[in-house]
Amino acid sequence: MIKIPTRILLVDDEKDFVEMLGLRLEEAGEKVTPAHSGQECLQVLEKMEIDVVILDILMPGMDGIATLKEIKRRFPLVEVIMLTGHGTTESAVEGMKLGAFDYLLKPAHFGELTAKLESARKRKDEQAERIRKAEAKLLLRKSGDI
Amino acid sequence: MVENFGTRMKTVNSPEKFVPIRLLLVDDEDEFRQTLAKRLARRGLVADQAADGEQCLAILENKAMDVVVLDVKMPGMTGIEVLRHIAAAYPKTEVILLTGQASASDGVEGIKSGAFDYLMKPIELEHFFNKIIQAYDKIQRREAEQQEAESRRQMQQQMIVCERLASLGTLAAGVAHEINNPLAIIRESAGWMRQFFARDEFKGMPRREDVFRALDKVENSVERASRITHQLLGFVGKSEAAVSEVNLTQLAEEAIQLIIHEARNRDIQINRQMPSSLQSIWSDAYQIRQVLLNLLTNAIHAVNSAGTITVVVEDVGDSQVIMVSDSGPGIAREHLDKIFEPFFSTKSPGQGTGLGLFVSRGIVEKLGGTIEVSSELGQGASFRFRLPKHRSGTAEFSQSSGHNWHEKIRSRFEGKKGEKSS
Repeated sequence: MIKIPTRILLVDDEKDFVEMLGLRLEEAGEKVTPAHSGQECLQVLEKMEIDVVILDILMPGMDGIATLKEIKRRFPLVEVIMLTGHGTTESAVEGMKLGAFDYLLKPAHFGELTAKLESARKRKDEQAERIRKAEAKLLLRKSGDI
Repeated sequence: MVENFGTRMKTVNSPEKFVPIRLLLVDDEDEFRQTLAKRLARRGLVADQAADGEQCLAILENKAMDVVVLDVKMPGMTGIEVLRHIAAAYPKTEVILLTGQASASDGVEGIKSGAFDYLMKPIELEHFFNKIIQAYDKIQRREAEQQEAESRRQMQQQMIVCERLASLGTLAAGVAHEINNPLAIIRESAGWMRQFFARDEFKGMPRREDVFRALDKVENSVERASRITHQLLGFVGKSEAAVSEVNLTQLAEEAIQLIIHEARNRDIQINRQMPSSLQSIWSDAYQIRQVLLNLLTNAIHAVNSAGTITVVVEDVGDSQVIMVSDSGPGIAREHLDKIFEPFFSTKSPGQGTGLGLFVSRGIVEKLGGTIEVSSELGQGASFRFRLPKHRSGTAEFSQSSGHNWHEKIRSRFEGKKGEKSS
């Protein structure tokens, strides 16, 4: 069975980190788009279909939490995994309350990251499936009314 | 220290009581000297005796004296010569000179050379006795001041250590954060290489296992380094509180005593509004005292000279509040927000570390309280911190050996109090 790659948007202001983690995820068969700021992240989401955003919390300018709020407002189906440094666990918890799928402490183990990515992707697919079914029902009823 | 004098005065009225002053009478007139000694002994004051200057100095070599009563006119060494000798060799000893009617100028000369006072013969015993007590009180006052200065020095030393630790912590946290990022990059790079060489196309590559071993070493080293950075980050904010019963009025008074001389020197009056009967709270005395000392020192620096500092202690429901206000120039609005930030200081470089209030806030918050400032330019400043009566969470009791010096100071204060009430 051919694995369908997860479309990942990797957001961190540390460019080398994004590049290397991106290579690893691609090597593992995923599709990675890099971004280095909250603004760039939102621009990518406007143009591309993304399954999971991996989002660093500590970024200059628009930080991870502000970016997360914007993602959830404008692209509610996209799942978000927060990356948090030491001492910002509170922000990660806040992120979860705001609708993030999960969080990982930096430096994260690759296996842990891929496991969480898989769960996030699964939830997103299930949610998309439920919406698709609900919409189909709605359409059916509407056409029945007519 | 005036209290001390009061205690002595009481002794005057109870002659049977032994007065613990080491006194040496030096006079070449044997009869006069012996009579004097006998009459002093009746008042509880036992004196050693010397017939001339040489004998006096010989006695001093073997036995420390508090007060030496010295006749000016003596064969051999004069009283003034002996006095200069004592002043140079035994600075803790006070000297009272006895002069004849005709030689009052010797007395003045003596005071210039460091005598406590002089009396003209014939002497009136009551007056003489009180003079000795006064000289002794001066010694005690000086010793108390020295002790106080020493306690204050120790406390400030401790404060500096605390501030250094705090700045070290801030630095460590910053460094650890900065190192974590490149570590993450190294980790991911090595991880990618491992994945890359694991590809089927590299199966037959010569020495592929060596590449993996090298990558193991990179990854293990990253692991090791990140353990260190995590320890460094964990170090910040780690010093357990030592909780015990604390009386804030008492604590505030102790802190005031440590700065009161400095305040007096600068003509700063300290007003207290502290209830004498105050419920004790569960908190960390040592840390609270540091905060108090810090606020008081800041207040003194703010007032600089001629002004007032007011210390208020209040009980408000489930917490108690201490307020330290000063009549200084006040704090500019734009500084108010930054005042608790690390390394923020309006003092000239070298005067303040910019960590005092930062550390104070850390302490108060660690103790479950809050600290706030209110000030307007020209209106002075007021720092108010609130502490809960019962600290939530686990209460650890003081075991740390690092607090020994604090116990020492506490017992010293208690000793002093005991002396006053006797």
